[in-house]
Amino acid sequence: MNNTSPLEHFENWRFFAVLGAVGLVFIFFMIRLFSLQIINGQSFVDQADENRIKNVSEPTQRGIITDRNGFVLARNEPSYNVVITPAYLPTDDGAVQEIYRGLSKLIDIPVSKGEINDESVKSFKYCDNDFGITQIVYIGDTNAPYTPVQVKCNIDEKTAKIIEAKKSDWPGVDIEIQPVREYPTGSLTSEIIGFLGPIPAALEETLKTQGFVPGRDKYGYAGVENYMNDLLTGKNGQRTVEVDVAGKEIRNITKPIDPVPGKNLKLTIDVRLQNAAKTAMVSEINFWNTYLNKIRSSNGVTIAMNPKTGEILALVSYPTYENNRMARFIPAYYYNQLSNDPNRPLFNHAISAEHPPGSVFKMATAIGALNEGVIDPNKELEDKGKITIVQKFTENETGTPRDFVCYDRNGHGMVNFLRGVALSCDVYFYKIGGGYQNEVPQGLGIWRIGEYARALGYGSISGIELPGEAEGLIPDPTWKRINIGENWSTGDTYIGTIGQGYVLATPLQVLESAATIANDGKLMQPTIIREVTDSAGNVVTPFTPKMRWDITVDPKIRVFDENNIPTGEMKTVAPWTIKLAKEGMEQAVINGTATKEFAGDEALKVAGKTGTAEYCDNIAQAANLCQPENWPSHAWFMSYAPYDDPEIAVMAFVYNGGEGASVAAPIARRIIDAYFELKAIDTAANVER
Amino acid sequence: MYLYEPGNDEGSVEFLKIMFRLENWRHFDYWLFGTATILSIFGIIMIRSAVAGSIELAGYANRQTMFVVAGLVVVLATAVLDYHFLGNMARAMYIFAVVSLIVIYIYGQASFGSARWLDTGVFFIQPSELVKIIMVIVLSDYFSRSQLEKHDLMWIGKSAALTFGVVIWILLQPNLSTSIVITVLWISMLWISGLPPKYIALFIVLGIVLGLILFPFLESYQQLRIINFLFPDPNSRHGNSYNVEQALISIGSGGWFGMGYGHGTQVQLRFLKVRHTDFIFSAMAEEFGFVGTVLVISLLVFVIYRCFRVAREAQDQFGALIAYGVGVLLAFQTSVNIGVNLNVIPVTGLVLPFISYGGSSLLSTVLAIGLVESVALRRKPLDF
Repeated sequence: MNNTSPLEHFENWRFFAVLGAVGLVFIFFMIRLFSLQIINGQSFVDQADENRIKNVSEPTQRGIITDRNGFVLARNEPSYNVVITPAYLPTDDGAVQEIYRGLSKLIDIPVSKGEINDESVKSFKYCDNDFGITQIVYIGDTNAPYTPVQVKCNIDEKTAKIIEAKKSDWPGVDIEIQPVREYPTGSLTSEIIGFLGPIPAALEETLKTQGFVPGRDKYGYAGVENYMNDLLTGKNGQRTVEVDVAGKEIRNITKPIDPVPGKNLKLTIDVRLQNAAKTAMVSEINFWNTYLNKIRSSNGVTIAMNPKTGEILALVSYPTYENNRMARFIPAYYYNQLSNDPNRPLFNHAISAEHPPGSVFKMATAIGALNEGVIDPNKELEDKGKITIVQKFTENETGTPRDFVCYDRNGHGMVNFLRGVALSCDVYFYKIGGGYQNEVPQGLGIWRIGEYARALGYGSISGIELPGEAEGLIPDPTWKRINIGENWSTGDTYIGTIGQGYVLATPLQVLESAATIANDGKLMQPTIIREVTDSAGNVVTPFTPKMRWDITVDPKIRVFDENNIPTGEMKTVAPWTIKLAKEGMEQAVINGTATKEFAGDEALKVAGKTGTAEYCDNIAQAANLCQPENWPSHAWFMSYAPYDDPEIAVMAFVYNGGEGASVAAPIARRIIDAYFELKAIDTAANVER
Repeated sequence: MYLYEPGNDEGSVEFLKIMFRLENWRHFDYWLFGTATILSIFGIIMIRSAVAGSIELAGYANRQTMFVVAGLVVVLATAVLDYHFLGNMARAMYIFAVVSLIVIYIYGQASFGSARWLDTGVFFIQPSELVKIIMVIVLSDYFSRSQLEKHDLMWIGKSAALTFGVVIWILLQPNLSTSIVITVLWISMLWISGLPPKYIALFIVLGIVLGLILFPFLESYQQLRIINFLFPDPNSRHGNSYNVEQALISIGSGGWFGMGYGHGTQVQLRFLKVRHTDFIFSAMAEEFGFVGTVLVISLLVFVIYRCFRVAREAQDQFGALIAYGVGVLLAFQTSVNIGVNLNVIPVTGLVLPFISYGGSSLLSTVLAIGLVESVALRRKPLDF
């Protein structure tokens, strides 16, 4: 107390040290406050905005898909979910329990079940869990009390109505209506329509920027749903709202953007013909399996198309799947079952499967041989059942003799062009394709066969509005050297002439070749979309047939010199060659390989070409079917009718079906019959009207 | 020495006469009382904005209004009471404090493991809030009486025994923040009463060692708070740092002039938690901005300054220490609360004096102001 005045109870320096310390603390606070509010203020304003401003996505309606006659193939059906908004439940626990008990009786979910812990909450999924109502609501309440919690999904409409009526007595309980994709025709059209699934992870970022909500919005996984996803899906609406900490919407901050519904699609498919085609396919396969008392084939394709417009009227890839089972979510067991099925139901065999086309491919050789002057159509060549040629891998090689047999080992005798096509005479085609001694000094050759095959649609994708189209394969020496690592042999040409060996084609390409011939060389763009309409029903894109090319007008054929080097010149196909090819296909039905199968149908004037394509793929090898001289074979048939003014082109393919004429042709016949029956019915209906 | 003696009716009449002598009220610190009143009313206004939109907090503003009205009466009543009388009562008050803290501790152990509240039947009070004021008187009494004693370890030890005799029970509640407040009060008293510099070094070393030893004994949530403060987890959005983070966003988004009363988005949409008590400073900063907040801080600093001023002018050492102790108490609580809000110190449960919601804390604050006014009323006039 040495330096205190009577008035001063404290030592001055101690007192002012305290005062100074307090002062410094508050000065520091002011500086800190200035730094937070003024210097870094904007970043905190942004964070505050991020807290309170939420973008709400208003779901749009996916477009409806119908067949050409307006029959609905895909639509959105309301699905009823029971939801509870935790924040709106009564505050009284007893009242809440009463609501739970009442609801429990209606929807068959116990009031309380299961244990809430870290693990069970982590694996928790709405609509798919083992909890009781109390637990589900508890989880929802802790996440976002103002967000409705799905207690039970997909209840029937009757129960939904009952709960809807009780809503006023049960605060917090509500019925949520969610659109779910429904396919009235189910597995009949699933290979065309496809199915929906959650937005795939790979597209998540892209689709998010377009306003889609992963987890809620769906994405097409196959068929038209996939290929036309962008058109069908529409655009989600957007609202920017202010929310409080519980997620409750307070107000709109900006003017809401309404959702834009997706476009509707009218397909070229006639669902009645589709039904006939599928029935024809399934019953034919079943017939043979029953007849042979073993499962010989269980996979096939048939496609019907208007050759003049390219409209696909029916497209069957058998077997397929039930797309309604994947409407809400994709059940793992079902998806696994489909994925593991050796017949690959998820795979569209009509456009994605590549098989040796066999004799249907001969039409490319036939037109080529005529157009290139390899053979005079009237000249008769002898078929003794087989020919022997010298197999050479290089020009100067001595080579080894190799036999090429006709499917008829007795041979067809003397055969001209028309008989060659009608009888599908292998030896005739070997000779014109590869050349034979003095009869045909210079064959068409593999390079030029390729040109004509491509001109008919082989070897490239058609551009049909379905995902996963395959290209097929038109082999040539360059391809073989690169891919097989071996020189092209003379035998490769002979076998390629008749659509065997390395040649691969998709069923759609086979149909395109038939349609191009039927349409006098005009290759129409195959399509399954007839019209695109908006949600109000106005036509956005009307149907206009597109021609890919006309081989009689557009020079699609490369000219090769004697060393098989392209000269750079291009040429067209002379119309008379196509006319003769058509005559050959007429003859195949009138008096040829498919005559028996079309007996009684003469009035429909069907032209066709059979194909029995030997194959030896991994499945056949595994089944030990590949016996020398007796390989398994696919049944092919392609046709159109009527031959003087074709309206419909049909192809049929049965995997491991055996003979094209007896197995595939009947399928095509039943579709053609059905087509004309339906046409008669429609005409009669129009007359009545 | 004192006018009031029990049983001396003549004295008590005399006392009352002196009490209400008009000229004495000249010494009443109107600046202090006025500023405290303004701050308390501002507190009501701020609480009203902070609790808007919350059902469970509805009515808090009206309750606080009642507390404030009662509080102003308490200030005047305490001011009227001669603080020397309280000095005589110091021992009794100390015993009362320790007993009530032990009762609360046992009661807490028996019921749910932790209790800070005492149910008086009418309302709940937090005895530890009251104990802070009692300790101001008890320590002022001790240090003024021992003013002339040798300032040795014995002198320090006695005051330490007094202090930790109550702090231990508060620590056991557990209530770390109030324990620290009382400890700080004790240290500040030691300091101003002339703690020899050689012991200061001892204190610092002792403090660090004690801190390191005691840390493992802290409740896990207290440890977490300290760890969260020292090493914040940048990914935890709803974790332990959520409240502080939201407080910073609230303060930062205030800018120069704030978003306006009732328009702070963080406050009104309830992103800011405990915004009517611990984080009312942040709520204020968001709605009134830098300018408004600096103004309120200035008023708080002014109140603290007035307390120190009264201390300088007090009639005697006891009064000076009371006013000084209250000044330290207010300064420490205010700066800890603001420090938490500004995220410069770890989260504690200390509220902002005058402004935060709460009857108990307001009661202790107004009692404290009342004590200072009591000292002021009896100060030596500077102008004689």
